[in-house]
Amino acid sequence: MMRRPVALIALCAGLVLSTQALAAELPQRWVSAGGALSEWVSALGGEAHLVGVDTTSQHPESLKALPSVGYQRQLSAEGVLSLRPDVLVGTEEMGPPPVLAQIRKAGVRVELFSSKAELDAVDENLRHLGQLLGAEQQATALATGYRQQLDGLQAEVKQAQVGQKAPGVLLLVGHAGAKPLIAGQGTAGDWLLRQAGARNLAEHQGYKNFSSEALAALDPDVVVFSDRALADEQALQALLKENPALAASRAVREQRLVSLDPTLLVGGLGPRLPASLRTLAGAFYPAAKASFAQ
Amino acid sequence: MLQVEGLHLRRGSNEVLHDIHLQLTPGQVVGVLGPNGAGKSSLLGVLCGELAPGQGRVTLQGRPLTDWAGQARAQRLAVLPQVSSLGFSFRVEEVVAMGRMPHGSGQLRDAEIVEAALRAADAWHLLGRSYLALSGGERQRVHLARVLAQLWPGEQGTTLLLDEPTSMLDPLHQHTTLQAVRRFADRGAAVLVILHDLNLAARYCDRILLLEQGRCHALASPQEVLTPGALKAVFGIDVLVQAHPERGHPLIITR
Amino acid sequence: MKQRVQPRTLIVCLSLLCLLAVWLSLALGPVSLPLFDTLRAGLRLLGLPVAGDDLQQAEMILGQIRLPRTLLGLAVGAVLALSGVAMQGLFRNPLADPGLVGVAAGAAMGAAVAIVGGSWFGGMPDVLAPYLLSLCAFIGGLGVTALVYRLGRRDGQTNVATMLLAGVAMTALGGAAVGLFSYLADDATLRTLTFWNLGSLNGASYERLWPLLMVAGGVALWLPRRARALNALLLGESEARHLGIEVERLKRELVFCTALGVGAAVAAAGLIGFIGLVVPHLVRLLAGPDHRVVLPASLLAGGVLMLFADLVARLVLAPAELPIGIVTALIGAPFFLVLLIRGRS
Repeated sequence: MMRRPVALIALCAGLVLSTQALAAELPQRWVSAGGALSEWVSALGGEAHLVGVDTTSQHPESLKALPSVGYQRQLSAEGVLSLRPDVLVGTEEMGPPPVLAQIRKAGVRVELFSSKAELDAVDENLRHLGQLLGAEQQATALATGYRQQLDGLQAEVKQAQVGQKAPGVLLLVGHAGAKPLIAGQGTAGDWLLRQAGARNLAEHQGYKNFSSEALAALDPDVVVFSDRALADEQALQALLKENPALAASRAVREQRLVSLDPTLLVGGLGPRLPASLRTLAGAFYPAAKASFAQ
Repeated sequence: MLQVEGLHLRRGSNEVLHDIHLQLTPGQVVGVLGPNGAGKSSLLGVLCGELAPGQGRVTLQGRPLTDWAGQARAQRLAVLPQVSSLGFSFRVEEVVAMGRMPHGSGQLRDAEIVEAALRAADAWHLLGRSYLALSGGERQRVHLARVLAQLWPGEQGTTLLLDEPTSMLDPLHQHTTLQAVRRFADRGAAVLVILHDLNLAARYCDRILLLEQGRCHALASPQEVLTPGALKAVFGIDVLVQAHPERGHPLIITR
Repeated sequence: MKQRVQPRTLIVCLSLLCLLAVWLSLALGPVSLPLFDTLRAGLRLLGLPVAGDDLQQAEMILGQIRLPRTLLGLAVGAVLALSGVAMQGLFRNPLADPGLVGVAAGAAMGAAVAIVGGSWFGGMPDVLAPYLLSLCAFIGGLGVTALVYRLGRRDGQTNVATMLLAGVAMTALGGAAVGLFSYLADDATLRTLTFWNLGSLNGASYERLWPLLMVAGGVALWLPRRARALNALLLGESEARHLGIEVERLKRELVFCTALGVGAAVAAAGLIGFIGLVVPHLVRLLAGPDHRVVLPASLLAGGVLMLFADLVARLVLAPAELPIGIVTALIGAPFFLVLLIRGRS
């Protein structure tokens, strides 16, 4: 009868050893610089590995309790090293390059990810993260699910467009309502609007200031606003107060104003996106709102 | 010894100096008199190389002034400008010691000379004070000590140019300053001094150059130059000229 | 009159402070290294045979991160302070700043071109790419200064007042150009530009250090030779000329040293304010305005102040770090105000 406990112990030891062997290859202590990336790490169950994040990593809320390594483009080599990480993950926006070189030289893996607003980038990022976390299957599932959600949304948007023309929309990014920037072509905001089935009325590149007259002249059907300082209703009041010209637009007359979480616009596509897109699409196509609400 | 011949200077369309001949000889004090705008400071500017003459030449010890290297020239020619704008809190003795810059005479010798120059300018009691804490007249005396130190002890071959050195001084120091300049010349230096006070000029100068609108009205001894006629013609003032009761030099009294 | 510190005492004290600052800069950082390890790693880096296979991390942090950073801080601080002395001498004003001749504005303009328009330089060789920002900043600083100097010249003479006004105008123009580039920039490059404008010693590496060290060494060797001439210049330009100084040459040298020094410093560490203004001023308060003391003392004090500011910058928010321009301004501005108020009473 002695055999069984021995075997059990051996089995346990084997298991422990093998997980340890596995764990030795996988990075245990992570520093993440990039908002969307940190969210994905958390979504893949890797939050416990994070020992530090940058200032753009705001979700989930619990990340804010971690040590901050500063802005992703202005990392400090010694600061990052002081957290004794095994790996530093970030997007190609991460820098400055000499600091990354120093961190690499100190024996820390630096893994770069894409911050492009593209589904393929999300797939690739998830695959890469899954490998690093030892959660490949989970990552594949997450990627597939994400793609399905977005594809499903696209189909619904198409259907909704049968009954209603795509609305002309402006995305305003502001600070307490004052002098909002308008999201133009090539921005993450533009991608968001188009995914949710809107026509972006702004044709310039990047984020730009508009005069309030030009704003009124575009006469959007819907205004999406994203305020960094104030919450939804307050932000709306501030926006209308600072930009009286907007009041004449169709969007305001018909009360078609939607607020958007500004953190969604930074650092590539994150896991919270599909839900937000649904809300947006619901606002763009009121007739089909029920279908988007699912 | 500084010499100018056939000097013409234009500023814009004005001719500010016209055909000036002047020789500063060792041991002599030449006073320059003239109303405002007569060209006194322009003359000094040409003599020290600040202004390039349109015609004529300036020579220092027979060599054109422009041929001299900066340091060698500074060992022989010192200039006291009308106003100086020093905005840093140097000590008095440091300002005076700057006069020794062209020389490599060593710290000990320089310290002796600085003391002698300060005493000569009656500014020795200002030792250790910050230049910025001095009054206008005290500053003027410190700068005088500086240019004296530059040429100390004032041997033959040195030339000193002074632009209104007494403009800010009280009566006592007007005299002590010019006495110091006089003693300097007595040791062999050639001196040119621009003055406004006719009586000071009469007392301390060996020769006087009277300028009128850029032209030389007269260049001779005080007795010959300071006549009621000349002063009426150049300054437009009516004066009596008498001999000084004790010293004999002309004494000018306004009517 | 207030007592002055003896020049020798001041230089000795500043040298000791400088050693202390260097030691602290090498010994302190977000990564806490045991004192003994730091010492041993330091000795190993000096090539001494000290046993220490366990010291890889310490050696890496000391040799690759802290040492270049310390050297960069010393060089930047020294060169900015020396340039401040040169400019205050040139403009004969104790409140002059190295930025007056447009070198900072030019460098900022160059940096903005590099940061925002980096993609326009598509055909550039890869070797140069990492240095594009530094190179553009350096060229911008030098170019604008040359223009300001040129504008201040007439009939073979440099008019310092005209130069000052030209510097003000070029600074405004540079500001407009930076503004325009900020307008053209997207969010991310805008932040890079903002951070660059605040300066940082972060990411110092030897490759970037050498050019600056050479420039700093040149300026530090050259300017003290002109100390007496600078003293004379304070009397006035014509007075200096009468004292045998070749004033035009001196002014050219001062402008050149400043453009080169500030250009290289800004290229290596971004815009760092107040050092060039405060350090010479402070040294003069302590030891008087004689440049034979002011120049070496400012060199040391500039380095010391920079290292202490950098210590604050890297420690106070660790593991993140504060742009050093914020720290120097935070230390410098109130300090300067105190000096002004005390100087007046």
